[in-house]
Amino acid sequence: MGADTDHRHRRRRLALPNVDGMHATTSSPAVEADGLHKRYRSKVAVEEVGLSVAAGEIFGILGRNGAGKTTTVELIAGLRRPDRGTVRVLGLDPRRDRARLRQVLGVQLQEAVLHSALTVTELVHLYGTFYRDPLPSDDLIESVGLTASRRTRFEKLSGGQQQRLSIALALVGRPRVVILDELTTGLDPEARRRMWSTLERLRESGVTILLVSHTMEEVERLCDRVALLDEGRVVALDSPSGLVRRAGFAQRVTFRAITPVPGGLLEGLDGVDRVHADGDRVVVEGRGELLQAVSVALVRAGVAAAETRSEQAGLDDAFLALTGHRLDNTKLDAEFDTAPDTKGETIR
Amino acid sequence: MTDITVHRPGPRAWAALLICELKMVTRDTAGLIVPIGLPMLILVMNASSAGRETIAHGRTAFDVYVLPLVFTMVVATTGIVNMPSFLAYYRRSGILRRLGVTPASPALVLVAQAAAGVLQMALGIAAAWILALLAFGAHPPVRVGAALGVLALTVAAMYALGLTVAALSPTPNSSVAIGLVVFFVLGATGGMFGGRGNLPEVIATIGQWLPFGAGSQALSAAWIGAPIEASNLIGLAAAIVLGGVVAAVFFRWE
Repeated sequence: MGADTDHRHRRRRLALPNVDGMHATTSSPAVEADGLHKRYRSKVAVEEVGLSVAAGEIFGILGRNGAGKTTTVELIAGLRRPDRGTVRVLGLDPRRDRARLRQVLGVQLQEAVLHSALTVTELVHLYGTFYRDPLPSDDLIESVGLTASRRTRFEKLSGGQQQRLSIALALVGRPRVVILDELTTGLDPEARRRMWSTLERLRESGVTILLVSHTMEEVERLCDRVALLDEGRVVALDSPSGLVRRAGFAQRVTFRAITPVPGGLLEGLDGVDRVHADGDRVVVEGRGELLQAVSVALVRAGVAAAETRSEQAGLDDAFLALTGHRLDNTKLDAEFDTAPDTKGETIR
Repeated sequence: MTDITVHRPGPRAWAALLICELKMVTRDTAGLIVPIGLPMLILVMNASSAGRETIAHGRTAFDVYVLPLVFTMVVATTGIVNMPSFLAYYRRSGILRRLGVTPASPALVLVAQAAAGVLQMALGIAAAWILALLAFGAHPPVRVGAALGVLALTVAAMYALGLTVAALSPTPNSSVAIGLVVFFVLGATGGMFGGRGNLPEVIATIGQWLPFGAGSQALSAAWIGAPIEASNLIGLAAAIVLGGVVAAVFFRWE
């Protein structure tokens, strides 16, 4: 646990104090889901999902396609009715107290579609009129970097621009809780970083954010805590660094052995947990000063090694350790073409 | 968290949504062909079927039978077929779903949609009326106020039916098919195909209570200056109330 962990701790700020006095009861969770269960015909989408998001937190929901992430947030947003279980957002039932909750909950849906013939300005203004105290349209458009395209119709915007508009509409009503489903999908790296800064500023103002993602980098950078979803269940719920600890190792050293490594040489070293060899490619997982320990041992044994790399364990390693499969086996860019498994269902 | 109070979108939201709907209409010029062109087309198609002989009060068969039928048909197509197909598009594309996570109420969305539709319909009927005046020598109704009132009731009744179709249809595409079937059933029982006199008595009686027959019959009466049958008005009012309730109860955002 070196500089990497410190880096994470710096980000693990918990709920901010009530700067604006908006949150009457900071101690009660902003979002609470308990025993959520949802089935679509024969397929169970989520099973016994429970989570609790503290006010002012950025809470990540991470998982592969079809893991139940979208269904979970749709249940929390009140778009679907759970077969079992309860949801409270700011103490309100998202379906029964719909009218009250909608004022303070901002939602960005995956693949959101808007009136195609309306311009950016018109849509931001229109959605603003639904709320008590909307953000000024021009400022909001500026903050998502759409000022130059403000007179462009929705249908003429690029995918990334549509995405940014969709996020702007989730924020226009000054929500206290924001649900963002696949926030940065379709955004170029610069727009992505910009969006992350926007979220960090939001958190500083005390907004609670529920972030659905399948990008490790995003979750590691932004989230205070993460629920890891797999096959409709929460398999782990922890801070990003806490999850990384569950990877079972802290560091990994890989190298190419030019001359053979004597059997048992690395396994016996201090701090080494596992050694895999695949041809001349050797992977050593362990803790502490692993790179140094391995290098010294190789030199002493007279083994020539090349392409030596050392990396810290990351969330993807944790994901693999916890679920048995990799998170990022789908390309990010393919996401827009991948329909959610629940598409076309008409559920009241 | 009891400090969260209900805030329903106010007049600004209603106005903004209506303006947006109208802007979209003007930006999609092809979409204007149906509401503006269809009434004139239906008028021209039916104009030849009626004689020009005067029936009463200087009104011809064209005035008393053809014009009410044409106007009722226009209102019925827009309300029962067009409107559900627009809503179906909204639903299929996900626009309704997106609006469903805002404080916008179903009523806000439906009323703005209906208001934009009614404005287009009014434009279409006005165009058809001008054409009837200029090309076919039409005469205005004897009881203008009653005719306008009946027309307004018919519009409301047809929209209520259209909303019911949209709310009850299992899928977006089926709503268009169901709307067409409802339109033809109502039209057939209401004398759209060759006059009420040719219908079996049972069907004609049912037809005068249903919105199509009720609307065109009441409009005919207003045109010739006769009293309007209570059954027509009751039928129209019932369609409005029932349709409105069903649409509100069964409304879905997706």
